[in-house]
Amino acid sequence: MMKRYDLVVIGAGPAGLSAAIEAAKNGLHPVVFDENAKPGGQLFKQIHKFFGSKEHKAKIRGFRIGDELLEEAKQYGVEVVLNATVIGLYQEKEVTVRVKDEVLHVKGDSILVATGASENMVTFPGWTLPGVIGAGAAQTMMNLHHIKPGNKVLMLGTGNVGLVVSYQLLQAGCEVVALVDAAPRIGGYGVHAAKVARCGVPYYLSHTIVKAEGKECVEGVTIAEVGPDWKKVAGSEKHFDVDTICLAVGLSPMSQLLKQAGCEMEDTKGGYVPKCDVKGNTSIPGIFAAGDVSGIEEASSAMIEGRISGAVISNYLGYLEEDKMDARIKELEQALSSLRKGMFAPENRGKLVTKTEEDLDVSMNLLEKGYVAEDEIERYPGVTHLVGIHPVMECTQNIPCNPCQDACPKGCISIGDNITSLPVVKTDTACIGCGMCVASCSGQAIFLVNEESEPGFGTVTLPYEFYPLPKVGDLGIAMGRDGKEVCKAEVVDMKTSKAFDQTNLLTIKVPTKMTTKARFFTAIKKEA
Amino acid sequence: MDRIKHHPVLGEIKEGKVVAFTYNGQKLEGLEGEPIATALRVAGVMVHRYTNKKHEPRGVFCAIGRCTDCVMVVDGKPNIRTCITPLEEGMVVETQYGATTKEAQV
Repeated sequence: MMKRYDLVVIGAGPAGLSAAIEAAKNGLHPVVFDENAKPGGQLFKQIHKFFGSKEHKAKIRGFRIGDELLEEAKQYGVEVVLNATVIGLYQEKEVTVRVKDEVLHVKGDSILVATGASENMVTFPGWTLPGVIGAGAAQTMMNLHHIKPGNKVLMLGTGNVGLVVSYQLLQAGCEVVALVDAAPRIGGYGVHAAKVARCGVPYYLSHTIVKAEGKECVEGVTIAEVGPDWKKVAGSEKHFDVDTICLAVGLSPMSQLLKQAGCEMEDTKGGYVPKCDVKGNTSIPGIFAAGDVSGIEEASSAMIEGRISGAVISNYLGYLEEDKMDARIKELEQALSSLRKGMFAPENRGKLVTKTEEDLDVSMNLLEKGYVAEDEIERYPGVTHLVGIHPVMECTQNIPCNPCQDACPKGCISIGDNITSLPVVKTDTACIGCGMCVASCSGQAIFLVNEESEPGFGTVTLPYEFYPLPKVGDLGIAMGRDGKEVCKAEVVDMKTSKAFDQTNLLTIKVPTKMTTKARFFTAIKKEA
Repeated sequence: MDRIKHHPVLGEIKEGKVVAFTYNGQKLEGLEGEPIATALRVAGVMVHRYTNKKHEPRGVFCAIGRCTDCVMVVDGKPNIRTCITPLEEGMVVETQYGATTKEAQV
C-alpha cells in the first residue's frame, strides 16, 4: 500500500528541517527523508560562528544551530527517516525512496525538495590521486570524525568555503602552506581571509594548480601564475611539498529530482535550478524547492527559505489562512533580504566593489593579499586611538552582520539599523574592557587595545581559537596582519568564559608603537 | 594521519570503543561506528582501490558518500562506500581492483 503524507520533505538539512518544523507548527504531519545516517545536512561540520543578526542566529556556531533545529523538530513531532535515499520524484507528487535494500513508494499532497548542493571539482594532472579532496571532505574528517585530513595542505579556492576550511585546518593542527585562486581577488569575506593571513598563510591569487605530484598518493603540488588570458605564465611555477590538496571551487545545486519530476529548469549564476517564485513554488503545483537546490547561498538563508516554504505549503493545503501566511512571509522575507545586502550581495557576484557604503575606499590589499595594509586600516570608523582600553574594529567591508553592537554592555559600538554598515566606535562612552565584542565577532575582527598600559608598553587583546591555550607569563612572537613577526610579546591575561563560546581572549603586552600592528600571537616552542 | 584529541572549539574528543578489523589480511584497529575510511586514514592507508583499465589509485574524495571514489571490498561485498559505512568488529576490508579483490593481469 502506498503511504500518504501531507508533506514529503526531501533532505533533512537546514532548509528541509526548517520547512518541516514550520509546517508541523501549522498542524501538518510532514515526513523528512534523508540519505545520511544523521540529520542536519552540512550544519554539524560548521564549527564557526555565523554572520547576520539575532534573527539569523548570528554569533552562534553552525553545529549548535543544528542542535537547536533537531530539538525543535522533535518538539513538533516531525518524522525524520534516515538512511533513506529518494531515487525518484514524479509529476503526480509520488516519491520512490530506498531504505536499505527495499524501495518504498510514498505519495505527498505536497513535496518540498531541499536536497542542497554538492561540491564542484576542477581537473588538473594528478587530480584523481588519493590526497586530493573536497574542502567539505576536509571539514567532515576534522569536525565530525576528528582526524586530520592531512599534515600539509594546499587549498584551492578563496571563497568563504576555502577561507573558513583553511582556518579550521589550522585549528585542527594542520599546516596550510598556501591559499590559491585563479581569480585576481579573494572571493570570500575579508574578515575570513584576514584571520588566516595573520596566522602566516600566504595567498597566491591569479594562480592555478599545474599538477598534483605523487605515484600512489599526493606528495607535492606545483602551481603557476595565470595571466589575464587565463594562460599559465611561463617560468612562474612554484612547488610545495604537501600530502593533501583541498578543492573549494564552488557548489552546484543537486536539482536532479526536480528535473526528473518535469519542473521547468533554468541556468543561473547560482547553478542549474528549478524556475521558482519567491515563495518556492516550482512550475508544478504542489512541488516546492528551498535552500541551495534553488540557488547557492548560505545555511542562514536556507533556513529562512525553508520557513517560507513551510508557511506557503501550510496555506496550499488549507492549514493556514491567506492573511496569516502573508504576514509570516513578510516577516521572513525581511530577514532574508537583509542577509542578501552588502558587498557580497547576489547582484554583486563577480563585480569589483571599490567603495564602501560609507564612500570609503575598499582595501585592495585585503582583496589581493588577504589583509588590510597599514596605510589602509586607519580609514575605517571602527579603528580609533583613544586613551585607555578601547575596541579596535577591523571590519572594513559591508557585510550583513551586527552582533557587536548588542554585545557591548556600555553601548560603545554602533552599526545602526542598516545591518551592513561598518561598525563605529563611539568616543563618548567608556570601554570597560570586558571583551564581549571580541568574542561576539564572527569575523574575529575586533581587538581591545590599550596603547599605553605602562610607560612604553601597551596591551592587545585578541580572539584566540587554537589549542593549547597560552598561559599568563608565556613569551612568544606577536604577528602582524600579514602574518609576519612584528615584535616579541608576553601573555599578560587569558580569559575564557562560557559566554565567549570558545573564542578565548588572549592579552599580550607589546611596545606601545606595536599595539597598532600586533594582531596574532605564537608561543615560542619550548624544547622537548 | 593523526586523530585530533583536543580541539579548540570541540573540546576534548572522547574516544569510542576500539575494535579490530583486517585490511588486506593485516590486523588494524579503529573506533567502532566511525567510517571505515577514517580508521584507514589513521592507519596511513590512502589508496582504497585501483581503476580497472588504467590501474590508477583512488581514495577518499568527498567523504560524504556521493563520489564513490573510496569504494572497497568489505566482508566480500564490492563497491562499499567506506567513507559512510560504519566500522564494526571483525570487518574484512580489502583493496578493490575494478570491481573485485583480484589485481588484473596486465
